[in-house]
Amino acid sequence: MRFWRVIEPHIGFLLQGFALTIAACLLAIVGAVLLGALTASMRSSGNRWVRGAANAYGDVFRNVPFLVQLFFFFYGLPELGIYIGAFETGVIAMSIAGGAFVSDVILSGIMTVDTGVIDAAKVSGLNRVKIFTRIVLPIALRVSVRPMGSVLINLVLTSSILSTITVNELTGAAKIVAATTFKPFEVYAVLLVLYASLTTLLSFAISATHRRLNRFMMGG
Amino acid sequence: MIVAENVEKRFGDALVLKHVNLRVEPGEVVTILGASGSGKSTLIRCINGLEALSGGKITVDGHDVSTKAGLVAARRASATVFQLFNLYPHMTALRNITLAPIEVLKLPKAEAEARARALLEKVGLGAHADAYPQQLSGGQRQRVGICRALAMQPRYLLLDEVTSALDPEMTGDVLRILAELAADGTTMVFVTHEIEFARHISSRIVFLEQGELIVDLPTAQFFAEDGGLAVPRIRQFLSKMKKD
Amino acid sequence: MRYADFTPYDIVLLLQGLGVTLALFIGTTLIGLAIGLLLAVVHHYRIPGCRPVIVLVTEALKNSPVLVQLFLVFFGIPAFLHIRMTPVEAATLTISLNTAAFAFVVFRSGIESIDRDQIEAAKVFGLDRSQILRFVIAPQAAAFSVGPLVGILVNQLQVTSLISVIGVFDLTKIGNILNLRTLQPFIVWAVIGLIYYLAAKTLALAGSRVEAALRKSVKWGGI
Ligand SMILES: Nc1ncnc2c1ncn2[C@@H]1O[C@H](COP(=O)(O)OP(=O)(O)OP(=O)(O)O)[C@@H](O)[C@H]1O
Ligand SMILES: [Mg+2]
Repeated sequence: MRFWRVIEPHIGFLLQGFALTIAACLLAIVGAVLLGALTASMRSSGNRWVRGAANAYGDVFRNVPFLVQLFFFFYGLPELGIYIGAFETGVIAMSIAGGAFVSDVILSGIMTVDTGVIDAAKVSGLNRVKIFTRIVLPIALRVSVRPMGSVLINLVLTSSILSTITVNELTGAAKIVAATTFKPFEVYAVLLVLYASLTTLLSFAISATHRRLNRFMMGG
Repeated sequence: MIVAENVEKRFGDALVLKHVNLRVEPGEVVTILGASGSGKSTLIRCINGLEALSGGKITVDGHDVSTKAGLVAARRASATVFQLFNLYPHMTALRNITLAPIEVLKLPKAEAEARARALLEKVGLGAHADAYPQQLSGGQRQRVGICRALAMQPRYLLLDEVTSALDPEMTGDVLRILAELAADGTTMVFVTHEIEFARHISSRIVFLEQGELIVDLPTAQFFAEDGGLAVPRIRQFLSKMKKD
Repeated sequence: MRYADFTPYDIVLLLQGLGVTLALFIGTTLIGLAIGLLLAVVHHYRIPGCRPVIVLVTEALKNSPVLVQLFLVFFGIPAFLHIRMTPVEAATLTISLNTAAFAFVVFRSGIESIDRDQIEAAKVFGLDRSQILRFVIAPQAAAFSVGPLVGILVNQLQVTSLISVIGVFDLTKIGNILNLRTLQPFIVWAVIGLIYYLAAKTLALAGSRVEAALRKSVKWGGI
């Protein structure tokens, strides 16, 4: 059919772009979870300055368009003498933006952790860091699989914006193919369906993961 | 030895513990009795440092629980079993038991697991090492809770109404284990509403009344007509318990 | 002085960009909410054959990048249908449909959440189908929907920044221009970000006011 005829000669190139998209999203979700966990722990801290700083970070990065954030880093970092590639810049920007959302997710997960369970961990002599990393966080993450999944799906959609800073991930690759084939409709229609299938698949995987991880958890 | 001197605890305006004095020597089983809301749980939570004192002092083997270093040492010396088990829901029974020995006592994993399996075997749960709390009955969960406490090889075991969330049959299982521990010479501070059981295993009984420790007697004397029963409030409490 | 420093005229540029962003945001919001509501009503009345199409299209819009949607509309449709389309037209069409897809979900669950009993009650009072919709379903669905809708709109405001990529002279595009001219990315993008931030906060505040007022009036005049 006509769509396949347009895409077929460029399938290898598009797959490379797809691989780059996956790589960016995987790295960014790891970064976002690390940053989000750190921010969530800061937001549940007793020190109001620590809490305030963490809240401000979440607030700012959720209310400024990602494109603006991306340009800020892409054009701004070299000003500071930090020269990293566009891909790395994109991953960092996605991690920072994602972290703002992940911290919300983790924080509400933390709220669900039974205080009795934390008491048990305290009296057994575990220190604060261990209680957070071994008890509170793992429980919070388990109940957060679904909302965390939405963050991941949003990261996949957001990753297309990296094409604006010369990263040839899936959308960037498609742009090139559209320009060389003069068939933008076919290329972008296929691209849209591809993204939609990918995110739909992801949401199924997330539901399955949620069920598996919470198999034995109370109230999950 | 656990020593509480003039312990005072407030929640806001409410004075929940008033000048409580208590000593628990190694080898003793001390039962805390008292009506609901009299402050039994609060006293236990002050001993294991889950609540900060408003006044007075608690030491465990000489370690002051109100200092940071003292609390760490005091928590090494004691272990707590909770009314609602408070097991870690995301870990198997075995992991629940080995977590603190590995992380706090720095025991090698293999040794911690061997110790945990032996404990589970002892409480009749040898086959359930890999079960998650959600897969266990209440009585089984509480037995895991006891194993978790024992795995720390504590000198003092603090137990707060550990059977009151269980049905009678499961209560029997748990009490049997506690009786064995008492017979082995484990030091216990025990909050319970199981009067007969308390009478059976305790060396001493103390009675809390609205935050005040009004009676502290050896078990036999506590139940004697000219001892505890001579106190009207205790007579009333015991007869009410019998009825329930 | 490096390259070209900031000039007072840049304020005018920024305001122009903000004007374009807000105009496009308001326009697409109105169109998008209208389409979303229409879709929800069509969906509610089970008009034959419409349900699967509506669900499929809205899901595709929600689950694919807006940037790709913009490219499809701006580059793809003109090439395919041999028509001309300006960046503003493409942006308006795309963002409106995107907003509609998200609004549809909110309106649908708003309609579903309304108690069957109340519809029964309305029937007892002798109201017909459209009266039920106007007097019973719509006001309540509106009150229930405002909270989630505000969340969506705050998000869509940020999404409008993408239209700069197809050449609309919105606030982000002005940022690009100033960035290239002054080579002061930190200042430029911080200012642009701040303006977006303030706009988002204002929108969220206004939304929560409207929500509070609506909830009050629904309770007060409740049928
Ligand atoms: N965290 C808290 N904040 C405020 N008040 C509290 C708190 N914990 C306990 N209290 C109050 O302290 C008093 C003693 O409570 P405590 O739980 O120690 O009683 P208890 O003797 O264990 O009762 P029960 O037999 O019902 O378990 C009660 O009046 C209770 O309401
Ligand atoms: Mg109690």
